[in-house]
Order: sequence, then C-alpha cells, then structure tokens
Amino acid sequence: MFLTDLLKPKTVAYAHCDLPCGVYDPEQARIEAESCYKIIEKYHASNDEHFKARAIVIKEERAELAKHHIDVLWSDYFKPEHVQKYPEITELCWKAAKQCSKVKGSLEIGEAKTLLDMIDKIGDVWTKAGGPTATRIAKAAAARA
Amino acid sequence: MEPALRDGDWVIVAQLARPPRVGEIVLARDPRVPERLVLKRVAGVKGGACMLLGDRPDESTDSRTFGPVALSQVLGRAIFRYAPLLRAGLI
Repeated sequence: MFLTDLLKPKTVAYAHCDLPCGVYDPEQARIEAESCYKIIEKYHASNDEHFKARAIVIKEERAELAKHHIDVLWSDYFKPEHVQKYPEITELCWKAAKQCSKVKGSLEIGEAKTLLDMIDKIGDVWTKAGGPTATRIAKAAAARA
Repeated sequence: MEPALRDGDWVIVAQLARPPRVGEIVLARDPRVPERLVLKRVAGVKGGACMLLGDRPDESTDSRTFGPVALSQVLGRAIFRYAPLLRAGLI
C-alpha cells in the first residue's frame, strides 16, 4: 500500500458549484412540452395498444425533461435582480413545474396546452430580462437565410 | 469555493466543538440531499441554523438555493489542507 492511499480522504464533499455553460432558453422546455402535446394527440388517434403503451412511457419521460429544464431556468438563470424586477417569475416557474407533473400523469390534451402557455409566459419574462442576447449564441447570417 | 478550496483538495475537517462562526468554512449536509456533503462558508448564524454561501456568488449553489442549514446538519469545520503539498496550510 502506498502512503498516498493511507492519506487519501475517505469522504468526498462538494465545494464546487454548478459549472454554468450560461446557455438558457425556455425553448428547451417548450420543445419537450410540445412533444407531450403531440404524443397525447397521437395516443388518442391510435388503436394500437402497443403504440399507446409506448406513447405513455415517452410522454412521461418528456414531461420530466420539461420539468428539469424549467427548474434549471429557475434555479440557474433567473437571478435575484430578475426576481426583483419580474416578481411573477417565481410563481410562473413553480406552477409550470407542477403542471409538468400533471401532464406526466394525464392524457388530457388541455393539460399539455396549459403547460405550453405557462412556458410561453416564462419565455416572455426571459425575453424581457434580456435572455436572448445574454445566453444564446447568434446564428450566422447565412444559416438564418 | 475557489480560490479558498479547489477541486481535489484534501482537507482535514474537525468536529464542531462550538457553533460555527461567520467566515469559517464548514462541512454540512445539503438540506435537499442529506447524503450529499458540501463545504461552504458561514455567512450568518441565527438561532439553530446558519446561512452558507459559496465564495463565488454567481456560480455557487448555496443557502440562496437550499435555504438555511440547521446547525445539527453542520458536521465540522475545515481547518487544514494537506494536499496538494504546495498549497498545504491552514484554511
């Protein structure tokens, strides 16, 4: 046994933080929510039991991802100064995260639509807070055309 | 917690003999995930809890996110770094 093995700590503690890449966009949550919406549509249009079972599994997975992306926006992107300026953002994120849980357990298209609207409201605040320029990398002009 | 602590530092943590004081770096349980241990600086002690903050507010996940930490969840105080040797010394 080497001396370093003896000296090596037995316990690991985290002193570091998130390593924020700095890219945040409600669109990421919206795409997952759109998936939920379309999956619910396809579920109701289908008579194939196997397809329906798969649709449920995938919808639950996408709803969980939408929740994750909302949580990341809330805990990592929005800073105290944003909350001061746009106090509604706390409740918007909180309710949208809860709505994700609803969509996860539901096959009502209305629940998925409500989630999309909630994410759009978060998107409005994100835009007002300067999100598009603060966090996204602009596309080259040629790529936009 | 840079530059006070860096990723991979080996540190000695002493059991708490007294309540932590502002400015000290403590080992505590993350209130969100108790099995996750964190090292953060004490920003305030009030009643039975303390506020823990990272040294880099922009990037830190600390009491601003997980709230005050009960003193019963503060396990010890980081006192000494013994590796890497070049940076060994009191914390």
